[in-house]
Amino acid sequence: MSTDTGRESRRSGALVDAMRWMENLSDTQYAYLLLLPVFVLLGVVALYPLLRTFELSLYATSLDFSSRSFVGLGNYVGLFTGEKNQFLPGGTTFLPSNLSLRALLNSALVVTIIFAVVSVLFETLIGLGQALILDQDFYGRRWVRAAIIIPWAVPIVIQGMIFFLMFNSNVGFLTPPLADLGLLAPTNTLNDTPSATFIIIVADIWKTSAFMALLILAGLQSIDRGLYDVAKVAGATKWQQFKLITFPLILPTIGVAVLFRSVQAMRVFGIIDTVSSCTVVPSLSCMVVATFTTREGTSAAIAFVTAAIIGSVVMGLILWQGEDAI
Amino acid sequence: MATTTEDQSSDGPLQRWTQSAIKNPEKVYRALFYAAMIFFLVTTLFPFYWLVVLAVTPEGNLLAGSFLPTVNLFGVSGTFPLPVPKGFNPGAFINVFQEVPFHLYMLNSFALAITTTVIVLFVASLAGYVFGRLRFPGRALLMLAILAISYFPPAAFVIPLFQAFAGNAPITIPFTNIPLFTPPRLLNTPGSMVLPFSALFMPLSIFILTTFYGQIPDGLEDAARVEGTTRLGALFRVIMPLSAPGVATASVLTFIAVYNEYFFSSIMATSPEATKWSPIVGGILSYQTQYTTQYNLMAAASIIGVLPVVILVVVAQERIVSGLTSGALKE
Repeated sequence: MSTDTGRESRRSGALVDAMRWMENLSDTQYAYLLLLPVFVLLGVVALYPLLRTFELSLYATSLDFSSRSFVGLGNYVGLFTGEKNQFLPGGTTFLPSNLSLRALLNSALVVTIIFAVVSVLFETLIGLGQALILDQDFYGRRWVRAAIIIPWAVPIVIQGMIFFLMFNSNVGFLTPPLADLGLLAPTNTLNDTPSATFIIIVADIWKTSAFMALLILAGLQSIDRGLYDVAKVAGATKWQQFKLITFPLILPTIGVAVLFRSVQAMRVFGIIDTVSSCTVVPSLSCMVVATFTTREGTSAAIAFVTAAIIGSVVMGLILWQGEDAI
Repeated sequence: MATTTEDQSSDGPLQRWTQSAIKNPEKVYRALFYAAMIFFLVTTLFPFYWLVVLAVTPEGNLLAGSFLPTVNLFGVSGTFPLPVPKGFNPGAFINVFQEVPFHLYMLNSFALAITTTVIVLFVASLAGYVFGRLRFPGRALLMLAILAISYFPPAAFVIPLFQAFAGNAPITIPFTNIPLFTPPRLLNTPGSMVLPFSALFMPLSIFILTTFYGQIPDGLEDAARVEGTTRLGALFRVIMPLSAPGVATASVLTFIAVYNEYFFSSIMATSPEATKWSPIVGGILSYQTQYTTQYNLMAAASIIGVLPVVILVVVAQERIVSGLTSGALKE
């Protein structure tokens, strides 16, 4: 009994001490103390793995993972000269072997960039259209907005399943009409590289246009409505209002949104894994996942190249936006 | 002469509309607006309609014939442009749970999403308080660093994390051979997913909470401190409750992000078994690999899996919109 109360008082004493110590910290000390959990979490899950990935990319690992030998930049050289292509799954390459469409789509680096550029381009156009609709006042706006946001909230695995079921060669009703137009391969559609790339881009546009729409909508709603009244008095048509007021004012917003989305699009993996397979549409993330249990050094080198590309885009964005980026 | 008058009277309504449209262009814009709105509604919602069509079609009818029926209208036959179910059998929604314990996968997803949300809210609240209310050297640089890390692809983290969570070898300080400690085996446990999820989705919550916490007037915090609240107490008893909309926004976005995550969910749960903490990713994919022709089950499982987020979007729409626009544009 007496020991119990003793421990109780000692513990609360320690707590009181800790509180008193915290009260007396300067603002800077207190700030860094509160940021400690963030540092620990990001250090363990982001910073350590990033450095370790770079370290692993400098070594050749034996197949049974028992020994590693230092090869310097050998893995990167191998990637860019095509030596490492033999370790990539299903006859895919890192850089394209020639400039035909099939060879380009078979290259992990090119297909990732094509995916990012094409899907973000269409997402921006469709998102702009959706944002212009949602910017109006009309009855039922709330429900239309919910309907447009829903694809954004759909889990990637279900998004993939939807498009798998729409274009699957057994039940997919969309394949025959689109094959007649020459857009898709009529048979074995999901294992045909150009067709599967097309379907995956469409799937991404379907899911992510809403995200662009919301970002652009925020830009639209920050425009001073008085400008439109002035334009109306001056006799400007709707098109002139859009071209001379709306578009220039939302251009910076669109620019940031496009870069932000491109960086996200370059991570593409799940939708490919569900709809088709990594051997058919070889994105960079796909290649990392497909090789990391067998070819550690190669996999780490691809992972680091991906990170470096995205990192340089982000650096560009930060330098361009400066303090506004935060 | 007679024919021309007939023609004029037959396209009369159209002509009258065109005439009035030329006089009043607002009408054209209105028509264009509704056309565009209907187009967007159809394109976003149609895939869900397709899931329903597939789910209620009996299994035996799935492969027989086309989903686009041939219709015969006044002697003109053509293909109906919208797929319709071939028969009606809602039993697939029950079979889904009998073939694969889909409810367990969903419970796993909920457990992972809620755990991650709680961790993220706690850690991001501390950081949001610091960035929103304190002035100290290095503030801008730290925010930039957190922002930059959030941009990196998960693929850049996965190799060392997978090896660490496998728990076979001690973690060493990068570029040295100094071993630190051997981590426990975390693969196929919530830990191997919650840790990367928390780090990945925390930056967005930090930026949202920074904005909200920064808007609370200093006077309210000072008043609480004069009343004898500790510094931490002021954050959790005064500032956090006053920023309830911001906290709700951050939690809804984190929950949806975890529920939707694919990359780590598919890699860290090495076998798609519900007992090994595989979330809905594993559940949905097991229909694709095990029941390769039961497309009605795949569709039914997808509908069930998507319901929680659809309800969340309808209920918490305002929060999602404000969070995405303020948070993402800040980022």
